[in-house]
Amino acid sequence: MKYPFPVGKSDFIQGDEAIARAAILAGCRFYAGYPITPASEIFEAMALYMPLVDGVSIQMEDELASIAAVIGASWVGTKAMTATSGPGFSLMMENLGYAIMTETPIVVVDVQRSGPSTGQPTLAAQGDVMQAIWGTHGDHSLIVLTPATVQEAFDMTIRAFNLAEKYRTPVILLTDAEVGHMREKVDIPNPEDVELVYRKLPANEEEAKYPFGDIHGDLIPPMPIFGKGYRTYVTGLTHDEKGRPKTVDAEIHRKLIERIVNKIEKNKKDIIEYETFDLDDAEVAIISYGIVARSAIRAVKMLRSEGIKAGLLKLNVVWPFDFEMIEKIAEQVNAIYVPEMNLGQVYHLVKEGANGKARVELIPKIGGEVHTPQEIVKAVKRCEKCI
Amino acid sequence: MQIRLAGIGGQGVVLAGVILGEAAAIEGLNVVQTQDYSSASRGGHSIADVVISKEPIYDLIVTKADVLVALAQLGYDTTKDSLRKDGLLIIDTDLVKPDREFIGAPFTRIAEETTGLALTVNMVALGYLVAKTGVVKKESVEEAIRRRVPKGTEDINLKAFRVGYEEGSK
Amino acid sequence: MYLKLSYEIRDKYLRKDMLPTIFCPGCGIGSVLQYTLRAIDELGWSKDEVVWVSGIGCSSRVPGFVDFDGLHTTHGRALAFATGIKMANPDLKVIAFMGDGDTAAIGGNHFIHAIRRNLDVTVILINNFTYGMTGGQVAPTTLKGLRGTTAPYGSFENPFDIAELAVAAGANYVARWTVFNYIQGINSIKKALQKKGFSLVEFLSPCPISFGRRNRMKTAPELIKWYNKITVPISKAKNMSPEELEGKIIIGEFVDRDRPSLDEEYEAYKKRAKKMMGWEE
Repeated sequence: MKYPFPVGKSDFIQGDEAIARAAILAGCRFYAGYPITPASEIFEAMALYMPLVDGVSIQMEDELASIAAVIGASWVGTKAMTATSGPGFSLMMENLGYAIMTETPIVVVDVQRSGPSTGQPTLAAQGDVMQAIWGTHGDHSLIVLTPATVQEAFDMTIRAFNLAEKYRTPVILLTDAEVGHMREKVDIPNPEDVELVYRKLPANEEEAKYPFGDIHGDLIPPMPIFGKGYRTYVTGLTHDEKGRPKTVDAEIHRKLIERIVNKIEKNKKDIIEYETFDLDDAEVAIISYGIVARSAIRAVKMLRSEGIKAGLLKLNVVWPFDFEMIEKIAEQVNAIYVPEMNLGQVYHLVKEGANGKARVELIPKIGGEVHTPQEIVKAVKRCEKCI
Repeated sequence: MQIRLAGIGGQGVVLAGVILGEAAAIEGLNVVQTQDYSSASRGGHSIADVVISKEPIYDLIVTKADVLVALAQLGYDTTKDSLRKDGLLIIDTDLVKPDREFIGAPFTRIAEETTGLALTVNMVALGYLVAKTGVVKKESVEEAIRRRVPKGTEDINLKAFRVGYEEGSK
Repeated sequence: MYLKLSYEIRDKYLRKDMLPTIFCPGCGIGSVLQYTLRAIDELGWSKDEVVWVSGIGCSSRVPGFVDFDGLHTTHGRALAFATGIKMANPDLKVIAFMGDGDTAAIGGNHFIHAIRRNLDVTVILINNFTYGMTGGQVAPTTLKGLRGTTAPYGSFENPFDIAELAVAAGANYVARWTVFNYIQGINSIKKALQKKGFSLVEFLSPCPISFGRRNRMKTAPELIKWYNKITVPISKAKNMSPEELEGKIIIGEFVDRDRPSLDEEYEAYKKRAKKMMGWEE
């Protein structure tokens, strides 16, 4: 098939644009959105490309409707995505919960800006981490990816679709205004080299009777999509394996929610991705994610040159979270530093993981600018001295 | 190398940054291009940063620019502190009154004289910058211009770029 | 018109394991559901080509009872979900079964925009002037002076006329009946289902338990009498003055037209895009 952008070569593009192109290559053929800075460029690229690849791009009346349309499209078997920023992400919390409860594969991009409320529309932040993980009500789990470069925004968008399809779950690509708007060189693969995952469909009519049943023992039910004669009923109410509402039976509720949580938790090893830099012999660890991880890499090099044995753990996935790995790092190092563009979010996860085995220090920064490597170095040195 | 282009909205500062970045990408260099502009589409300050390196790039914000190109006084005033002490300051000599050593030329006037359009000032300044620093090859920029400027304006932009390049080669 | 026996319709279209329904004695939702199923039956549509969508409320439980693909979604959002379903697979026929609170309050914005776009969907609207499931609160349709638990002294707000709203927003087909106009109701649903673009059939539907009880109409027959008193056929209403129409609800066919539907417009848009990009002649 023909693509509306160059494939099999590199290009110099914005993060937002990279996300749109990656979605097209991942097989996304439905996009619904609402304009918002700094995510509008994703929508604009989708609006340009979708009609050309026989997909749909539609501007909805608000973000409530955008994510709803995306879920609807997914239930007829179409890979679907929406993108937004803080204010719109808040509106999406309602139907994000619906997507979790109905185990609908969708991708939601949150290009973070400063909040709360309208905040700093054009400036980057990492203030939505906890919202991405816990923003919708009720017990649940989902997957949250955090790209640090335009190339990662591209690669992780494809991965987001694959994880959504594999685990029948919403996946959030949690990026920020900095990654969204900066331009970098991106290697865009040939479409035939892109590994794509598709949701499991029922093998026969018997399987289709259990749209929410663990019939394969892998916690992930096949998805009897609409229009294929399965006559599936889907509800956001607590439901049994057949999808029938069962709203007062504690056992049915427990079984359903535990499976939804466990299909993510028990597959942590497959889902979680991270990178380390100079961590093997480190005495001081920096744990970072997204745009700030870039400054953190430089900070590690600078600290090493000043004789401080620093190392970095760069999280590419912030949920599910590998608490055990953090504890192991905590056993090895004296202190862990968490630079974040917020007043402490992943810091709390790290602290829980460290389990008292090492000191955990937050290096917060808000207001719209990314930490400079110097700022991280300074914060680490100040603390290392004070011990 | 950290290069910062500063001017006012409407001068095409961001496009110049994008073209410089694209030229670096064409040469296989690592490059990050970011921008900062006030919410006004016209008249406010406009800054484009381009970081070019053979190594992976971790620094996103230009804190110590190696080169600052200032096309307007407002742009210069907003960014002058970010230029390294021994950094290179390039200015539009008609429009910017700097308080330190500089090189430059009346880019806007040159643009008007060459193409009849003041808004090609970004290409003139880009040509001058490339000639003075050699950060990327002239041919790479020309290729980037062909890719990035609106269809039908390639020749006029290339002309402005070449005049700026000649000026910088003097 | 030959009417099949109700149990034939029931056996053919309802999920036996979901019965009985949650509906109270005297509720009108079951009747409207029957009209809808009869309309589908008379049109000879396959159960596999129709998707039912709903939001939250008593009427929104309907997709659970019928043996079709069904998406029971969040409060007010049925038409937003329907937009995704229809646009991602225009071959599917979509019915949204909605209530008045769902449609006109929390889902009001989705409602007017789905109509503005002329989304090819048929909305079957149960208007019982109240929030039945949550226990009888006033709705944006509650006529002035009528009581609900959240306006115990009688509603002090102006109500929406949903059918008129749909006409103004650009729907292709709009009709309103009471649940007791069953022949007209079935015929209107048949027309609506066959109509490309947005169609709405609104039913004034008794809710004796949550609404009637609070307004001195404890049974469905009392509500029938009231409907007879307050409704005016559209042909008659044309010759009535605004003063005479005060407090009345017009029933009948409001509009029947054929503007292109959203999916048809998008098909043309895709062609335009390919042409503009030089991909196609």
